[in-house]
Amino acid sequence: MAEEVTMPAWKRWFENIGDQVGFFFKFFKNIFAGGFEWSEFVRQCYEIGYRSMMLVGITSFIMGVVLIVQLRPTLVTFGAASMLPKTLSVSFIREIGPVIIAIICAGKIASSIGAELGSMKVTEQLDAMEVSGANSIQYLVVTRILATTIMVPILSVIGDAIGLFGGFLALNIRDSISFQLYFTKVIAALDFTDFLPAFIKTIFFGFAIGFVGCYKGFHSNKGTESVGIAANSAVVTASLWIFVIDAIAVQITSLLFYK
Amino acid sequence: MEAEKEKTGQKQQAPKKQEVVIAIKGLKKSFGTKHVLKNINLQLHRGENIVILGRSGTGKSVTIQCIVGMLKPDGGSVKVFGDEVAEMDDKELKSLRIKIGFLFQSGALYDSMTVRENLEFPLTRVLKLKDRAEIDKRVEAALDSVGLLDAIDKMPSDLSGGMRKRAGLARTIIVEPEIILYDEPTTGLDPITSREISDLILSIQKKQKTSSIIITHDMECARIASDRVMIMDDGEYIAEGSFDELHKSKDKIVGSYFKDIL
Repeated sequence: MAEEVTMPAWKRWFENIGDQVGFFFKFFKNIFAGGFEWSEFVRQCYEIGYRSMMLVGITSFIMGVVLIVQLRPTLVTFGAASMLPKTLSVSFIREIGPVIIAIICAGKIASSIGAELGSMKVTEQLDAMEVSGANSIQYLVVTRILATTIMVPILSVIGDAIGLFGGFLALNIRDSISFQLYFTKVIAALDFTDFLPAFIKTIFFGFAIGFVGCYKGFHSNKGTESVGIAANSAVVTASLWIFVIDAIAVQITSLLFYK
Repeated sequence: MEAEKEKTGQKQQAPKKQEVVIAIKGLKKSFGTKHVLKNINLQLHRGENIVILGRSGTGKSVTIQCIVGMLKPDGGSVKVFGDEVAEMDDKELKSLRIKIGFLFQSGALYDSMTVRENLEFPLTRVLKLKDRAEIDKRVEAALDSVGLLDAIDKMPSDLSGGMRKRAGLARTIIVEPEIILYDEPTTGLDPITSREISDLILSIQKKQKTSSIIITHDMECARIASDRVMIMDDGEYIAEGSFDELHKSKDKIVGSYFKDIL
């Protein structure tokens, strides 16, 4: 029906930015539009949060183990083996945990949202919802973006805890440190300024994952290959946004807390 | 061709003094350099079924998408119930869409929901019904009218093509729209199921007094369901009249649609 309109790349880029800004405002407008879809929101929290827990748990555990195994020889060389719990906790809570867990969530959640909404577009389900007079943004977009914004920080906290526990097991095999001593050292090393900024940035990571997934799905072309393109593009763009947000967050945090 | 148009126009049996529910004048729509709709003029009266015939890519679907505000026309006027669609804000467009049912070619069932949930969706989200008994009653009545009550708790992936179309039709009629736009309702179906769908379209028109625009390539569907047939070519209508009038036409293009009809 509609022919692909060829336009210069720069014009397409600006049009794309304009579309994203428009989509962002539509999302905010619809949060407060009334008739919030609670049941769909809860279902999305379950799909996004609970269904990602196993993946986040396993990868966080492995990361904790790997970090201890990698850090130990260097710290032992400098006679600082006792610093291992502290080094792990600060690096994991501040940076490695939130970023890696967000990247895993981008791979799992952004791609699944992009593919789901993309296939709804291809099969005219989005058009059907819109034409019926229902609010597709409120039902599909608001619920998914809010669910990722809430569930990614929760997954990140759970992943941090599991990662630190993995670190304990790896350390205990070599140095037979007690559980109590290990976690005393881990908690003593952490400050409010380690946890809070990291937690806040995971909220933005979650928003970016949900937003990019929904935008890519909603704006996919009609055609089966567009579903794959939407899913792939959602992962790549969300991952990129996670690093951009992280870079900004690190600058703000260091200006505020680590002068 | 113009002569044909006038000739068939004179014979046309459009209901007199009946309310016009859709009035399209000089509708134009282009995509890039391709001018899909050049000059579309159409009037749909209350209780009337119009079938639009035309080759693929001539802009039939674009026309009905302009009626529901999915596409903005480049020129001309599309009035539904006397109101200009292009000038409507989001709220007005939403109210209009409640009065217009749209059956998509694929049925467009929401595939994460059962058939029951698909039908409940417009009731709870659009009509804002809350009474469980009322919702169940309307869902069962709509499914019964398309002969699909047995499939109420099935997922769309478990349904055949014809069942999906019927479920889509049930979801369209459940809100009791005044106008229904059918986008190729029988495409991809076997002749028996196609006939069932065409009969359903006719029975919905009679029971619910709906006005419809039916886009199809299925001449049997056109014969069964149409009060008036319009033939589209190169972005405009080239002929209109009743099925029998156009069947007898000597025009080459018009005749090509009816050559296999006895």
